[in-house]
Amino acid sequence: MKIFHVLLLFVGFSALAQKELPNLKLNSLEGHTLSLKNDFTEQDKIYIFSFWATWCTPCIQELDELNSLQDEWKKDVNFEIVAVSTDDARTQKRVKPLINGKGWEYNVLLDTNQDFKRALSIVNIPYTIVVKNQKIVHIQNGYVPGSENELLAKLKTL
Amino acid sequence: MKKIACLISLCAMAVSAQEKTNPFSVFGGLESNSTWYMNDPGLNVVHPDPAIRSNNYLFVNGKYKGWTAGIQVESYEDKALLNYNPRYIDTDVATYYVQYKNDMIDITAGYFYEQFGSGLLLRSWEDRQLGINNALRGGRIVFTPWNWLQIKGLYGRQRTGFTVADSDIYGTDLELGLGDIFGFTTTELSIGGSYVGRDQKVLTIPDPNFRDRTDAYAARINFGHGGFYASGEYDYKSDDAVVEKQDQVRNNFVKPGQALLVNMGYTKKGFGIDGTFRRLENMSFYSEREAAKNAFNDRIINYIPGLTKQQHYNLANIYVYQAQPGVAMPDYTVLKAGEIGGQVDIFYNFKKGSKLGGKHGTKIALNYSEWHALSGDYYLPAKDYNVDFLAFGKKYFSEYNVEIDKRWTDRWHTMFAYIHQYNNLKLVQETYDIVNADIVAAETTIKFGKSRSIRVVGEHIWADADKKNWAAGTVEFNVNPKLSFYTNDMWNYGNDDPDARNHYYNFGTAFRYKSIRAALNYGRQRGGLVCVGGVCRFVPESSGLSLSVNAAF
Repeated sequence: MKIFHVLLLFVGFSALAQKELPNLKLNSLEGHTLSLKNDFTEQDKIYIFSFWATWCTPCIQELDELNSLQDEWKKDVNFEIVAVSTDDARTQKRVKPLINGKGWEYNVLLDTNQDFKRALSIVNIPYTIVVKNQKIVHIQNGYVPGSENELLAKLKTL
Repeated sequence: MKKIACLISLCAMAVSAQEKTNPFSVFGGLESNSTWYMNDPGLNVVHPDPAIRSNNYLFVNGKYKGWTAGIQVESYEDKALLNYNPRYIDTDVATYYVQYKNDMIDITAGYFYEQFGSGLLLRSWEDRQLGINNALRGGRIVFTPWNWLQIKGLYGRQRTGFTVADSDIYGTDLELGLGDIFGFTTTELSIGGSYVGRDQKVLTIPDPNFRDRTDAYAARINFGHGGFYASGEYDYKSDDAVVEKQDQVRNNFVKPGQALLVNMGYTKKGFGIDGTFRRLENMSFYSEREAAKNAFNDRIINYIPGLTKQQHYNLANIYVYQAQPGVAMPDYTVLKAGEIGGQVDIFYNFKKGSKLGGKHGTKIALNYSEWHALSGDYYLPAKDYNVDFLAFGKKYFSEYNVEIDKRWTDRWHTMFAYIHQYNNLKLVQETYDIVNADIVAAETTIKFGKSRSIRVVGEHIWADADKKNWAAGTVEFNVNPKLSFYTNDMWNYGNDDPDARNHYYNFGTAFRYKSIRAALNYGRQRGGLVCVGGVCRFVPESSGLSLSVNAAF
């Protein structure tokens, strides 16, 4: 138990640290390898990484909402949504038909053995991180209908 | 001493992380799940001793340029939550690693996670809800000299509880991007191959008919062009003792194993269809032979999920299918050497403005799956089998379902689902009964005010055997994006046994702030399978108060 308490102290220590994206490469839906470090670097552009899975209903609701709102929002803010599928080999093949079936217009990354999810210590999905200039500037753990309004308000302040 | 050294180095990193000019950074996460189990005369359950139990995970990493080091401490005090692997006891360092990485090479020493291809031969991963953490402890090198070539090599011993299994795992994997080599721009084409070896000394059998080392090979291909895509994987596992039941390694039942997985689909905007076929024959693979079919997925080397749709409604998760990779021939009525079957998914989007789409669109998803035993000759009591390659035996499971998702206005959204399931429990779970079940579920979400919403779900299942009919309902009120309350109940009103017509009610609240999520729940847990990603864990009935907290930093 002692080790646990000692380690807990570090949580406090690290609270001030600004986090970067992990140095990982993930495949896109089209089979291209994208680097989190080198491919999402446009100056001052906001990248929203939304972690989801084909079996996660609230995730799909969130992505449905964002999909219908993003054109409107883009008038105010320069951003791009990246849907990070945490589907493992069981459901990964469902990603492509589902994305198209839903008519979503997202860049999709496949986090098949959940390396990206693990690097960010994500326990539950949906989980959204907002990245600007290579730094994680906002985190949203979970989604309920209406969260998208709060997210937009946040984007405007970044 | 090792632990202390680790802690000191992390401490140094953590302190320096506060100075923002420093290239050090610290990151990680905390998860804590606790339950206070209570006596519940209504359910006839007595709380376990100790009654307050908790699973805690703390993951801390430090990063400096290309170097990353991390440690995960786990604490199960007093004891783990009900029906977790009994090897999870007390508090200790669970995993640790040091990794160096640049654009070409990635070297890890310590514990690591890995998957080759679809995972049918090797997958080490963590799922805390299932109590799975089969990380390998050893070393791994991933070499990516060009975009089109990746070579992996690994050696390790597999984690079990707070120690490692008594065997050596070797693996290598190669992935070749032919599309990139040939400069295809619109066509995706790649091939890959893997080898996995498990070397476990046979100590209990004096003159074994099988070798210490079992070799497994896989070849795979992946193709995509325009809206069409296809992939395939074939796996072969060399002769090894067939273990029908945990701890029963038999010297006179030695067989090889094989698997075939084929997937193809076509998609265009607004439409997608996907089909998967899989055949498994004697593909159970554990780091210790004796561990085969243990109830906790402990020491499992490969990933064999049930390939059916993962349902999100409560009542659709009572008769879930579990994949049948292994051999079991307890008597003439249950003869299994694997499974054969597949599933098809269709997604369609009725456009906004069309007749069925309405003003805001309508989305529909269909799924069909069917799984059978392998047909062939089975020999009892001598224990042997000779199965056909493409022939369907007795049916294990089938399911068809339709899901309609309709948005009426900006603020009003409904979903409807109908599911039919057939589950041969006698064959699949080796219990009794064949169940035919029809499930109907409807839910609606209404948003109001600035960011409030309410969600209501109603469900019913008609089952012709086992526990028969149930009704269920959920009401969820989201006060704002940070705070929610919910209540739900599942009522087994149709049970033949009047004393078993129980309500499984729950009340709870969830709080979210940035990376933190906390949830408090009071109520009853239905006994049965809890499944994540097609892998299941059995949980007993219980009653109590639970608190979960997780945060990343």
